[in-house]
Amino acid sequence: MTDVSKPTTPKQTFMPPRAFLSEDVIQVFYRLLAALLICVALSLLSDSFLSVNNILNVLRQASLMFFIAAGLTLVVLTAGLDLSVGANVALSACLAGTVIHVTKSPALGVLTGLAAGGAIGLLNGVMVTALRIPSFIATYGMLWVLHGVTYWYMAGDTIHGFPPGFRQIGSGYWLGLPIPVYLLLIFLAIGTIFAQRTTWGQEIYAIGANPVAARLSGIPVSRRLILVYVMSGLMAGLASIVFLARLNSAEADIGESLTLPAIAAVLIGGTSLFGGIGTVFGTFVGALILTLVLNGMNLLQVSASWQPLVTGVIVILAVWLDMKTRRRTQ
Amino acid sequence: MTKSTNMKLAGGAVTLLASAAFATGAFADGETIAVFTKNQTNPYFQTVRVGADAAAKSLNAKTLHYIPTKPDSIPEQLSQIEDVIVKKPSSIVFIPVDYKAMVPGVEQINSAKIPVVNVTDRSEGGKFVAFVGADDYSLGLETARYLLKTLGGKGNIVIIEGVKGSLTNVDRVRGFYDALKENPGAKLLAAQPANYQRLQALQVMENLMQSNSQIDGVLAANDAMAIGAIEALDGANRKAQVIGVNGTKEAVDAIKAGKLLASGDYNGFVQGCVGTMIAIRALRNEPVVTEIVLKPTVITKDNYQPYDVALDARKCPSWDEAAKLGVK
Repeated sequence: MTDVSKPTTPKQTFMPPRAFLSEDVIQVFYRLLAALLICVALSLLSDSFLSVNNILNVLRQASLMFFIAAGLTLVVLTAGLDLSVGANVALSACLAGTVIHVTKSPALGVLTGLAAGGAIGLLNGVMVTALRIPSFIATYGMLWVLHGVTYWYMAGDTIHGFPPGFRQIGSGYWLGLPIPVYLLLIFLAIGTIFAQRTTWGQEIYAIGANPVAARLSGIPVSRRLILVYVMSGLMAGLASIVFLARLNSAEADIGESLTLPAIAAVLIGGTSLFGGIGTVFGTFVGALILTLVLNGMNLLQVSASWQPLVTGVIVILAVWLDMKTRRRTQ
Repeated sequence: MTKSTNMKLAGGAVTLLASAAFATGAFADGETIAVFTKNQTNPYFQTVRVGADAAAKSLNAKTLHYIPTKPDSIPEQLSQIEDVIVKKPSSIVFIPVDYKAMVPGVEQINSAKIPVVNVTDRSEGGKFVAFVGADDYSLGLETARYLLKTLGGKGNIVIIEGVKGSLTNVDRVRGFYDALKENPGAKLLAAQPANYQRLQALQVMENLMQSNSQIDGVLAANDAMAIGAIEALDGANRKAQVIGVNGTKEAVDAIKAGKLLASGDYNGFVQGCVGTMIAIRALRNEPVVTEIVLKPTVITKDNYQPYDVALDARKCPSWDEAAKLGVK
């Protein structure tokens, strides 16, 4: 472990980067290889796969999953889990949608979505640190609370129809690339730099690797933990905005189908549930693999009955391969 | 948390004159009807609940709603049945979360001697006062027929399915296929699942557009997926005729705006009304109809007006009208 000095003020000092060919890099390399293999297979099987349009399409579809999974990665790095992300997206989207409808201001709507997401993350963080509730339980409870609030608030209705300017966030293009893809690249860069190159990011790794050692070496563990849950919540808030803009509507049950794929993306991306190992870039590749598989199944017209099965097998295979290669590199 | 109770007592007391066949003494109003629906998320079940409340209110009865917190949860609905047997409501209006798995639950209600009316999804077993529902198969068939007629009986078609294996999906999609069979000029390009979810439908449609340069018609097994598919088409600046099923408010808005071609009307409001009316009439020993399967209505740009009203402003049909609905 690198030497961690005790920061008195949250200084964004640049740490010496981890050794270049560290275990993480090798792991990510394996994953990229897997993603590439899937791409090669799909391009052989389907004529439409390797078109610029389809690649952009896959990236845009992976973006939503990536936003949620990127925030989640930070939580998993501390050996925690945030099961409330999907429900967070649902409530944040419904609140943001309401604000846009009432105030006619997309900017206020975006702020609402981010604020709601961040606030939910803060509550999770407080439960995990101040109340000492294991994150699995705390965020699972939060999931139910959020579902309850969202169902009650929406009463089985949907909010739909948003101004075209706002919808650009989800369905617009700039210089030929979809806007969500820019957001994906921006947050991929921010997430990677934050985790790999800042003191706070390295402290998060340290907490996940050994919380006791981290505490003894002067890392403010509780504050860092609250930070990762807030970040996870903020990313869910961001996802809710992109979701709203892409689908032009919000409904109470949108969160149901978002949490598990996001967790799967984190795990396929090589982040360990035991904490301390993993990268945001790996998670991006994980989200890409899952999206590629679904895209491929649609292009190849795989029968509806087989699709969930194939997805499940891919997840299990990916994590098993991860374990195998990890043992080899250690 | 598990129950949103609705204890609105009827304001204007509408005392129905019971038919003369009264042997069991005075007619008592103020019965409690327990209404079981599948989830709090699908707007359809909200329309059923509003219909049930409206009917109960007009007949001076109370409703008590039981909704699983986890959508369509079998164990949760079973435990709600156990709760309700302890509470002993006068009667039950019941939508099973799963038409096979809930049969033991219905049998428990039967042995507790609480009369029960089956609504929407026909239970595979158990004893019921009546069944009130729509016919998913003919709904799928008629709505798809309308789309194919609009396309002149030809074109490239894709089907977006709901949850594979769910009763509604099986029947609606069977109706889609049969409508396609009637139109040999139409070509089915693909049938892909999106689990009744809007986002999944949007992404499935985006993917299908990659491999099919010309899509003329989209048959979606519910409205949320239909509208997800429309968003995908809009995003790619492509046009296709799209239909959904359920007749949700959102679908009616989209039909009005010329975005959605049509939606098969499942008419949850009327199902809720009529199911509850039958439950109450049976308690009061008034004649009931034991089987009402609503005729499929396709909501289009020509007939959407009656559907374009706020849910709570809708009126239940009178009993005479209800008794005539789709009697087989």
